[in-house]
Amino acid sequence: MIRVEHLTKRYGATTAIEDVSFEVPKGQVVGFLGPNGAGKSTTMRILTGSLGATEGRATVDGRDVFTDAREVKRRIGYLPEVPPLYPNMVVRDYVAFAGQLKGVKDPVAAAERAIARVGLAQVGHRIIEHLSKGYRQRVGLAQALVHDPEVLILDEPNSGLDPAQRVEIRDLLHDLVEDKRTIILSTHVLADIEAICRRVIIINKGRIVAEDDIERLGGEQRTVTVAVARPGDAAIAAMRAVEGVSAVVDEGEGRLRLTTDGDRREHVANAAAPFGLLELSGRARLEEIYLRLTMGATP
Amino acid sequence: MRNILAIARRELSAYFATPVGWLALSAFLLITGFFFAALVSLYSMQSAEQAFSPYGAPDMNLNEYLVAPFFGNTAIILLFIVPALTMRLFAEDRKTRALELLLTSPITTTEIVLGKFVGAMGFIAVMLACTLHYVGVLFYLGDPDVGVVASSYLAMFLLSGAFVSVGLVTSSFTENQVVSLVLGFGMLLLLWVLGWAESASTGLTAEVLGFASLINRMEDLTKGLIHTRDVAYYLSFISFFLFATHQRVEAFRWS
Repeated sequence: MIRVEHLTKRYGATTAIEDVSFEVPKGQVVGFLGPNGAGKSTTMRILTGSLGATEGRATVDGRDVFTDAREVKRRIGYLPEVPPLYPNMVVRDYVAFAGQLKGVKDPVAAAERAIARVGLAQVGHRIIEHLSKGYRQRVGLAQALVHDPEVLILDEPNSGLDPAQRVEIRDLLHDLVEDKRTIILSTHVLADIEAICRRVIIINKGRIVAEDDIERLGGEQRTVTVAVARPGDAAIAAMRAVEGVSAVVDEGEGRLRLTTDGDRREHVANAAAPFGLLELSGRARLEEIYLRLTMGATP
Repeated sequence: MRNILAIARRELSAYFATPVGWLALSAFLLITGFFFAALVSLYSMQSAEQAFSPYGAPDMNLNEYLVAPFFGNTAIILLFIVPALTMRLFAEDRKTRALELLLTSPITTTEIVLGKFVGAMGFIAVMLACTLHYVGVLFYLGDPDVGVVASSYLAMFLLSGAFVSVGLVTSSFTENQVVSLVLGFGMLLLLWVLGWAESASTGLTAEVLGFASLINRMEDLTKGLIHTRDVAYYLSFISFFLFATHQRVEAFRWS
């Protein structure tokens, strides 16, 4: 459905993305991860036709995003990081206007459907600038959905929202996934990615550093941190002796960081008990992989 | 065409959704109303004086003494008001990031630019239509030439088109509406005073300045003389600045 081949974007001497290639099959929901400035938004903007590329090619449903931009734009719904809203417009009018621009035959009816889809029916008559940030994000989503696109590209739909609003947007994204659309979702909330996406693409410093199913990503390696009351060589040796532990690093103040092959927390806890186990934590799998790939090593 | 009209309708309604549009409309009507009243009273005073003149009463042409100066003043008011109307066209969209909606929709850059142009011209048409009652008063009390009045309105519309096209391009260069306003007004003022510089120059320079001046082209039109060269001048002027805006908007895809 979406194919990106050797995409490069340079701004003068600065390279935003370099040789980025990936594919997203029809109906798949993909998490697009990376630190700020890694090139996520640049890639998304190129796919949506609002930014040109220096080199490379991208197609959506077999159509080139540069030479067949109009057709590609008809198939894509895009929510940028800052929703593209006209603050002085009434929600209903704005979504209908977006529908008109996207070539919908009956923009008013399409707007009503999109507004209902994102749960905005009760504020449809209100002026956008009077809405909360969470509701504005929903208006942005309604704009992206108004023409019932096959592809949805969502750039940090939950950025800047409070926890309650985040939950609302996550629930909404859950619903959208059920529509069987092809979705590229960029967010810093890794828990959302784990909950919604099966596959992730991780980009760092303008290059793709990982692209796989979450389950397969990064092999079986995990990190466990233990804090013991009586640290020392004996404790370190005991940790090393646990089956599946490949490395132990003494972080000081009784904290030991273990690299394990698979989930070995129970064995580690048993081995650490004689030394006064105070704390044991294993990072969420995706977070661990993400940090390893984007920061060079697990901190 | 459908997309151009959709954008134009949105722009037009945006003027009425914010105080800027209403303020501009009120200021325009207040000032044109003042000038109209002043010109009518001056005209009637001068006609009365002429009527009692011992040297006879030459015919005081209504078109020359009232219609032409009224539209001359209206042009100056437009010079001040139009940059305030055009300052937000692209600057606001860039600041609120709403431009991204236009750039990612299946529409062309030409449609975006023309939509905004038509929207602003629609508001100016409303402004000019609001002055029709002044003309109605003239027709009720006197006998102005319909052709002169019609060509004067054409002149105002073409001149406004030129102002809007300059305002569009300056608005596309910044996210700050005040900067857009100052840039637009500065450029228009410069083009306006070229006509004055013409009288202080000689030879080819004077000819070039006279040709480029926005004001010189208007004079014949407000006298009821519609020359193809004047209409073509305004249309070329508008096309040039709309093309410049088009190129600027295209450049957003590369920045």
